This record gives sequence, C-alpha cells and structure tokens, in this order.
Amino acid sequence: MTSDRRASWLKGVLDLMVLASLTAGENYGYEIVKDLAESGLGQIKGGTLYPVLNRLEEAGLVAAEFRVTERGPGRRYYQLTDRGRQTLAEQGGLWLSFGESVRAALLKGGVEPATPREGELR
Amino acid sequence: MNGYSTQAAGAYFGELAGLLAEAGMPADRVGATLDELAAYLAESGGDPEEEFGQAAELAEELTATSAPPAEPGANAHSWRWTADLFHDVKLLNEHGAQGWEVDTVDAKGLFVCTRDPEHPQQWEYRRELIPPARRGSVVDRLAPDGWEPCGTWVRFEYFKRPRAASLGPAAELTAPPQAPRRSLFLSPTFYALVAVVLALAATTLVLGADELDGGLDTVVGLICGVAAGALVSMIVLWLAARRRDKDR
Repeated sequence: MTSDRRASWLKGVLDLMVLASLTAGENYGYEIVKDLAESGLGQIKGGTLYPVLNRLEEAGLVAAEFRVTERGPGRRYYQLTDRGRQTLAEQGGLWLSFGESVRAALLKGGVEPATPREGELR
Repeated sequence: MNGYSTQAAGAYFGELAGLLAEAGMPADRVGATLDELAAYLAESGGDPEEEFGQAAELAEELTATSAPPAEPGANAHSWRWTADLFHDVKLLNEHGAQGWEVDTVDAKGLFVCTRDPEHPQQWEYRRELIPPARRGSVVDRLAPDGWEPCGTWVRFEYFKRPRAASLGPAAELTAPPQAPRRSLFLSPTFYALVAVVLALAATTLVLGADELDGGLDTVVGLICGVAAGALVSMIVLWLAARRRDKDR
C-alpha cells in the first residue's frame, strides 16, 4: 500500500525531477539516476527512467545525442531544451504550489513529517 | 467470544481481508474465507492470532495455496522460461527485443519475465561469471553503462539494460508478438554435449570391461541402465515442459 502510494507520487513528478536534474548541464542515464537518488527519490530503475526520458525527448523538452565513448558501448546524453526549461518553470511552479497546499492541509490535520526508511522518498 | 475482544477480532479480520485482496484473491472468496474463519473462532472462543497466527503469514499461506497456475496465456504480460548456458544470452536478447524484461531468476532456474502492456520496450542482456565475494565490484563496474542485475543462477549473474539507453524512443515497441508458448529452450550444442558424454561413458565401460566382474554382460547391463535412466529423465523433462506449455 505504502509502496503503491509512493509509486503514484513518483509517476506524477518524475518528469519534472528529471528536467530539474538537467538544469545543471547535459547528462546520461546512470548519472541522472544518481542525481535523483541524492534528491531523495530512492533508486530509480532503468525501466522507469528511460520511458520518461523517451517521452520528454518526443515532446521536445530534452534533446538527446548518442556518443561513443573510449571505453564501453557509448552513452546517450540528454540536455534540456528551451521548451523544456520553460515547461519546468511552469509545471514545477504549479507542483510547488500543490505541494505547499498538501503540506498545509496535512500539518493542519496534525500530521508530522516521518523519517523515511533507506531508499524511500525523503 | 471469550478471551479476546470483538474489536481485536474485527481488526484482525480487517487486516486479513486487505492482505488477501491485495494478493489478488477475488472478493467473494475473501468473504467466504473470512466467514469460515469467524465461524471457527466463534466455536473455539480463542484469540484470532493464537488460533491462526499473524494475519500476514495466514494471508501468504492462503494465497499461496489458492494461487492460479503460474504459467500465463499467450496474451499474458508475464512469462517464465529457461534455456541452457550455450544460448541463454542469445535467447534473452531475442526475447528482450520482443519486450520481455527479466525480473528475477527463480529457485528452479527459470527467467521470470514481465512485459509492460501499455508501453513495451526492448531490453538487452549479458551474463557474468562472478567469483565469490566479487559481486559488488562487478555490479559497480557495469552500472555506469546502465546494466542492472536481474537474477542469479549458481555463480552466474544476469544483467539487463533498456535498449532506450542507446536507441532512445526507437526502442519502444508498437506491436510486440504474443508470448512464446514454449518454456524450455535447449540448444543443439547441449544435445551434442549429452551425446558426447554418453559416448565417452560407453567407450570407457567397453574398454574397461575385462576388469569388471561379469565382463561384457555387466557392461551391456550398465549401458542399458544408463540409457534407460537418461531416456526416462528426458521423457520426464519433456512431459513437464509440455504440460507447462499446454497450461498456457
């Protein structure tokens, strides 16, 4: 039940988190996963991340380029487009307002922040 | 009801009902199961947890025995199969290109696969022979290239990676084929190896016949025994695989 709820939250916000992680510059899958883990989203699997990156790419919010590396098979690098930056500002702002409303309502109901277990959303 | 409160029983059955429903038991069966347990409890007058154990354990027990057959139909989104080591990675990649993602390797050595019904994507696989206590370093070495561990068999570790990591949106499948009806894939190399081993065993026995009590008769008996054993084992394996495939 708890994990289902977290999965629903993640579904609603993961694209924005990915866009936000790319504001620091271009990046590839593994490093994006590390960024998201450090943000407190837990360990995002490739099967969850890449469909999101695909959707963002198809929507023109990120641009991708595959580059061969000296060692290994090569990596697909993603960078934020102007449209992606604009979407992040708009949708991210709306999410923050929504999050603040949720927080205010929960605090009003006497709910206190819980300490997440390892790997869970912070 | 003696020795325990109605409220405690209500909480126990409430938790159990939730767990059974979560495990996929149909609502009518959940209702019937709870009725039976409540009737027993009313007679025994005991505490539900003392009578039946923890709700989570009971739910697991009840759903394990009432679970439907594991093998899916041709349109299913999950599938279990296995192959010998001579061509397992090749088949993993073939099936991965059809959208099958390995979640784990079960205790029987079967690849437990799922396929996203809405947005199936292609997967690629690799296998690594991992020395004891070296798993962590191998996982760390492969992780930057997007490889994630997806199952272990003996000392072999299987890794998966979405093909989108290199292909992007082109890795998404629009019309994946149905789930294969087979679940056992043995390569020609495997059969050849079995034949060579049997031939070597037969040769060794024939050459060493003089040293055995009973001479050639003993050798013939041993060869017949080995052949019959091998034949029976292969028939049993074949029937088991056929039954699994037919159930799907």
